[in-house]
Amino acid sequence: MNFDYDLVMRALPLLITGAGITVEITVLSVALGICIGLIAGIARVSRFKPLQLVTACYVNFFRGTPLLVQIFIIYFLLPLITGHRMEPMVVAVTACGINSGAYIAEIFRAGIQSIDEGQMEAGRSLGFSWLETMRYIIVPQAFKRVLPPLGNEFICLLKDSSLVSVIGFEELTRRGQLIIARTYASFEIWTCVALIYLAMTMLISQLVAYLERRYALDDTH
Amino acid sequence: MIRIEKLSKSFGPVEVLKDIDLHVRPGEVVVMIGPSGAGKSTLLRCMNYLEVPTSGRVIVNGNELSTDEEVLNRARLNIGMVFQRFNLFPHLTVLENITLAPVRLLKEELVAARERAAVLLERVGLADKKDAYPSQLSGGQQQRVAIARALAMNPKVMLFDEPTSALDPEMVGEVLAVMKNLTADGMTMVIVTHQMKFAREVANRVLFIADKKICEAGSPKELFDNPQELRTREFLSKIM
Repeated sequence: MNFDYDLVMRALPLLITGAGITVEITVLSVALGICIGLIAGIARVSRFKPLQLVTACYVNFFRGTPLLVQIFIIYFLLPLITGHRMEPMVVAVTACGINSGAYIAEIFRAGIQSIDEGQMEAGRSLGFSWLETMRYIIVPQAFKRVLPPLGNEFICLLKDSSLVSVIGFEELTRRGQLIIARTYASFEIWTCVALIYLAMTMLISQLVAYLERRYALDDTH
Repeated sequence: MIRIEKLSKSFGPVEVLKDIDLHVRPGEVVVMIGPSGAGKSTLLRCMNYLEVPTSGRVIVNGNELSTDEEVLNRARLNIGMVFQRFNLFPHLTVLENITLAPVRLLKEELVAARERAAVLLERVGLADKKDAYPSQLSGGQQQRVAIARALAMNPKVMLFDEPTSALDPEMVGEVLAVMKNLTADGMTMVIVTHQMKFAREVANRVLFIADKKICEAGSPKELFDNPQELRTREFLSKIM
């Protein structure tokens, strides 16, 4: 069997720009996921029962159903809510971000709960409210502890973003499919796509490892 | 300064304090001693509502504490607390530990807050540690920073919850020395401790707490040299 390098070189620019779109979805989704996850994670440790319940439902639903199904639901649901057709990018980021938020909420909940209770007491005794203590004292410490699982989630999301190809959004996987439809070079293109994903995830691993090292300098507590 | 009326506290079915009445006057240093589990720390923690009493009233500086968050947060600005396990913020430097609350809560200018923090660090003998992180300090140093952190809020009263119990023996002295300095400045203090010699030196009044109540109270001389209650005599004979 021959590996057609020429074809790969010709396809590469298209695949690379597709990878750029994959990165864009992933970064935006993670940003959205961290915002949602931070709020939901704090809500889960609050003493306000209704808030706990709502966030528990959210987390259970989005962790308990396939992302692929969620993408379809959001693809068909968003236009019904907003009244007009949505950009594929909006659908992709909404679906991935909300899904990721559920996992990140659990990461933050665990991180917050791992911080010594004395920290909350010290903050409260100075006159900080519960939320202020969370903001200035607990969450900054929790953030450092959750960096490794957060990096893991980032990597998962980058790979899972390939699922949005089903709604015809042209990210890396979809670009690959389209090129194969024209050239029938399945083996070459899928290999190439896989290697590009691998390069990106390894880059994220390095980035997370760097952040961990940098923050580890502050304290060893 | 602190007035406690008919305070009771239960944890679930277990009653730890019953019908406590206590009045701490401005400038007074009150030391609470007693067997472990007698409720000394619980009583102290009720004084800033870290522990909410089951019944009774706590009035600090003229304000009655309640579970209302706003009332509580405002009242706590005047009540400094030092913990057994220091509870410094490990992600912040020594200086940031001290300036965080004054800057965020009292809206002090950062520059002014830092200057004041430096003065406080000088006072607790740690001027050269301002840029260190808590994990780089010894236990005694951490506790002195914790005292400076509480003082930075200019509290009217300071609560100490067994401040030397988590320290290696050779570090106890440096923390007690800082506390002794504070009493010389006229700070109102309530201290839970097992350091009897220290209690004798600094206390205006010693409370012996056992069996859910203030068993006996008096000047250090009265309580240590001539205890009236059998329970007090038993306790003192065990530890002296």
